[in-house]
Parts: sequence; C-alpha cells; structure tokens
Amino acid sequence: MYKILSIALNTFRESVREKIIVVALLFGGILMASAVFLSPLALGAREKIVTDVGLAAISIIGVLASILLGGALVHKEVEKKAIYLVLTRPVSRPFFLVGKLFGIMGAIALVFCAMAAVLVGTIAAGKGALHPVVFASMYLSLLETGVMCSIVLLFSTFTTPILTSFFALCFFAAGSMSNDLRAFAEKFGGAASKLVTGLFYYLLPNLNVFNLRHEAVHDLPFRAGDVALATGYAAVYSAVALLFACFIFSRREFR
Amino acid sequence: MTKPSDFQSPCGKWAATGGLCGFAGALNERGTRMNVLRVEGVKKSFRGDLTLARREVLHGVSFAAREGEVLGFLGPNGAGKTTTIKIILGLIRPDSGLVSVLDRPAGDASAMARVGYLPEMPSFYPHLSLAEFLEFCGRLSGVPGGKLPGRIEQVIERVGLSGSGELRLKVFSKGMLQRAGLAQAIIHDPDLLILDEPFSGLDPIGRKAVRDILVDLKAKGKTIFFSSHILPDMEALCDRACIIREGVIVKTVGLDDLVRLGEGKVEVTARGWKPGMLRGIEDLVESWGARGDEVRLVVKSQGKLRGVIEHLYAAGAEVLEAVNEQASLEDVFMEEIARPGAAPKRGAKREEAVLSGF
Repeated sequence: MYKILSIALNTFRESVREKIIVVALLFGGILMASAVFLSPLALGAREKIVTDVGLAAISIIGVLASILLGGALVHKEVEKKAIYLVLTRPVSRPFFLVGKLFGIMGAIALVFCAMAAVLVGTIAAGKGALHPVVFASMYLSLLETGVMCSIVLLFSTFTTPILTSFFALCFFAAGSMSNDLRAFAEKFGGAASKLVTGLFYYLLPNLNVFNLRHEAVHDLPFRAGDVALATGYAAVYSAVALLFACFIFSRREFR
Repeated sequence: MTKPSDFQSPCGKWAATGGLCGFAGALNERGTRMNVLRVEGVKKSFRGDLTLARREVLHGVSFAAREGEVLGFLGPNGAGKTTTIKIILGLIRPDSGLVSVLDRPAGDASAMARVGYLPEMPSFYPHLSLAEFLEFCGRLSGVPGGKLPGRIEQVIERVGLSGSGELRLKVFSKGMLQRAGLAQAIIHDPDLLILDEPFSGLDPIGRKAVRDILVDLKAKGKTIFFSSHILPDMEALCDRACIIREGVIVKTVGLDDLVRLGEGKVEVTARGWKPGMLRGIEDLVESWGARGDEVRLVVKSQGKLRGVIEHLYAAGAEVLEAVNEQASLEDVFMEEIARPGAAPKRGAKREEAVLSGF
C-alpha cells in the first residue's frame, strides 16, 4: 500500500504540473462563464441554464482530462525509461498500475472539485437553490470519470497515446449511447443485431447510469438506490478494466 | 552476504553451490566468494516489427559475477548487452536459460530490493526535484521513512550534487542527470549494482566523478556489473570483463590475464638517450621511441632484458623503469571482434568504442 501511494503521489504531482490541467480548468471556466452570460436570454431560467451547462462542462472536462492525461500514462514512462526505475525495484507491475490509476484519478478529482466549487459558487451567487440532486449529479460524473480513467489505463498498457485516446473516445461515445442502441435493436433489429447489441451493451460501459443532469436541472426526484447501484457498477467495471490492464501489463516486455 | 537458499530452479537446487548448472562459483563456507549474479544459457528472440518471424539475439549467454567483484560487460552495439541486462532485471523474459540474482530468480522482489540499476541514457521524472526523486526511489526500495532524509542528503553529497537537491530534474545537465541516476541506484545501499553505460555522454570530469564513485563502492565490497564502451574506464575498474559478440559471450578476461596476454614483453624506460645508442641490440628490441633525453623501448622477452639493460648502461644511459608489458582490454576486444565471423551483423549499429588513452 505504501508503494502504491508513492507511485500515486508521483503521478499526481506529474499530472498537476502538466499544462493540460490549466487548460482544462480554463476551458471549464469559459464554459461556465458562457452559461452565466447567456442565461439572461432564457427569461426566468437562469438557474437551470447555469446548472445544465455547468454540470455538462464538469462531465466533459472530467472525461477529456482523463483521456488526455491518461493517454500517455504508461507510454511516456516506457519511452523515457523512467518505468525501469520503478519496475527494477521490489514493486509488482499491478501495484504500479494501481498507483498510476489512483494518481491520475486524484489529479482529475482536483480539477473536478475546483469546477464543482465554481458551479456551486455561481448558483449560490445567483441566489439559486442548491438541490441535493445537483450534488448527486456531480458525484455520478466523478464516477463516470473514474470509469473512463480505468478504460484509458487499460488501453495505455498496450498501445500508443493517440490510439488510446481514440479508443477511449469511442468507448465514451458508445457508452453514452448504449441504452439507445439497445432499445433501437430491440425495436427494429433481427436476432443477430439483438445479439450483437446485447453483447456490446454488456461489454461497453453504460455511461447513462452516471447521467443525472436532467433531474438536476429540473429538480426532479432521484432514487438514492440508483446512485448506490451506479457506485457499485463503477467499482466493478473499473476493477475488471484494471484486472485486464494488469494481465496485459504483466506479460509485457520492455525492449 | 547472501545465504544459500533452497530455491528450486528448473535444473535443480541452486543452493548457492555454484557448481550446479555449470557455474564455477563456490560457497561462502568454503572461504571463497559466491556468485551474486548468474546467467546460464540464456536465449532470447524477438519478433520483427512487421513480420512474424523471430530473430534470435541471444544465443545462450552464460557468465557469473562473484561477490564483491566488478564485472564489465563489453561488446559492440547490437551485441545483446542491454537485452541481457533487461533479462537479469526481469524486464524481459528469456526464451530459455536460467538467471539468478542474489540467489533468487530474475525479477524476484526480495532480490530487487538489494539491486541498484542505472539504465542507459536515463531521463527520469523532469517534474520532480532531485530530493523528491530520491525520496520516491527510496520509498519504492523500502528505505524506512525515518532514515530517508538523512540517506538522501548523504547520497546527494556522495554523487557531488550538493546544493542541487531542490532543483527540478528538467534543468539538470547530462552529467548531472547521470549522477542523479547513480544516486537513485545507490539510495537503498544495494549489494549488487547493475549499470548500463554509466559513462555514456559524460565529459572527462563527469567520467572521473562517476569512476571515483564506483571505485568507492567497490572498496565497500559492492558487486558491480556494468556495460560500457569506454575501454580505459572499464580496464581501470574491472576485475574481469565479459566480451559479448552477436549474442554469445566469446571471452571472459581477468585483469591478471592481461599481463599474461602481454606475451612476456618488457617495457624499459631509460634516461640519457643518444642517437645510435641502440645499435647492436636491434634484434632484442621490438619497438622503441624517444622524447627529449628519454627513450622507451619494448624488449621482446624477459630473457633478453639483461642484455638490453647492460647495453644501455654501457652506452651511458640510466635505466629508470622496467615493467612487464600487458595487453590492453582494447587489444583483447579488437582481437575478438576481428576474429573470423565476428563482423557486426547486418543492421547492427557500428561500435564507437572510445579507444583514447591506450
């Protein structure tokens, strides 16, 4: 555990000192500011616009940061041979990956918290009500980012940063639409398409379970059980992705 | 240092006897040094980037490093040095053969805790300061947190980087990075040091600094295994050197062997040189050269030495020194490389051995 924390701390330091973090924060800030400036156009719906754009910005920035920061996570270490300094010590390869995952998630959580604080501050400054569902939505977005981090880590163990980012984006897009794809196949597809979509449905992450933005914007009721279920789903999916990553990474040779 | 263990290998118990699996090591109990590092019959092939065909790069590499010994690893680029080192460290798996590090299999955590490694042309973590970097490495190697600050300070001083502890590694020069690399390799006071080209890219001052550190570590009884192209440094540091060519160890030469390989020639230095002084002893002398009033000549054999010295005294010269001439590591290396079938393989990069100083 001590060694995992050391690797996580190193990865966290490396990530927060990357310019990409500043860019992500800047981009998120611009998105939120645009919501504030555009909200007068929607008469009487300022709070909804700010909440909607703010939550979307948090989710997008979180996912983008995980892809951009995590894409080069392992590749950069191998290319610079820095990984040799870790793996030639009494540190197992799975420990290395777990440490990396924790470190990158820590850095993204920091960005996440900063943006969440800005959103909460913006809503509060506009004398809007901070409903629990807003916090639940932010929490689920954080879980979604965690799942994306583990997917990015899986790809980064065996392919290049560009391909990692590409695959991760594909997973994100497909995962965000998995419910729709399945429903479409159920309604219009044949047996074969139902089988294929069913397979993808279970293989790809169902990112819809982390989307509570509609409820947050309109202050609709939400079930705590769904949030708990989403938490379990994120934990299991991340663990499975991490297991695959460890399996691939343990067999990898560093030529 | 290392206790015999009952660790099972595919060819039977290692049991630190050294005699098993064809190794010539010995037990500590017998009063001789045991093998800290053992590589036996290691073969390795890689698949090409665009083809499925595998190309064998190591064809049964075997050697051993004894406790407290400095063992050099010499060979042209592409000969298999770095691949062998990576196999020893568990970064690459061999196709066949056996590797034992501190009496444990390659990559074993308990052995790796006692190994320090410096990769070739390291880049490290540019976002960390030197102190942060050493703290990270020390923690991973299991150095207790309480001892770490003192140890970091000690190591930074030892590698000559005092005052640079708070500087980020990204501002370090090549020489400073190499020293930082050495610092991380010794932060946990390892028993075995494995260094891949530790003198690579260093200026003469940096080379001397690294050499001094290695001499110091050798004096402390550490076992050092290192590859290098800098032959004078290797000759100055090593007890023995393994020469690898095209994935095979072709020769292991000891420093003592270099005197034997000198073929009994004696180098004589005398003062009071005058032209024509060597007339009459041309047959006894293989070569000679004069500078100022000093002359240096190589006598063909020890049996002819007396005649040469008497001739020099009779001619009014004063003999300052007579030493057995020894072959240089360069001689041995070039001889092995020039041997038939020793031409670098197609695709192998040309060796740029540093031959200055010989």
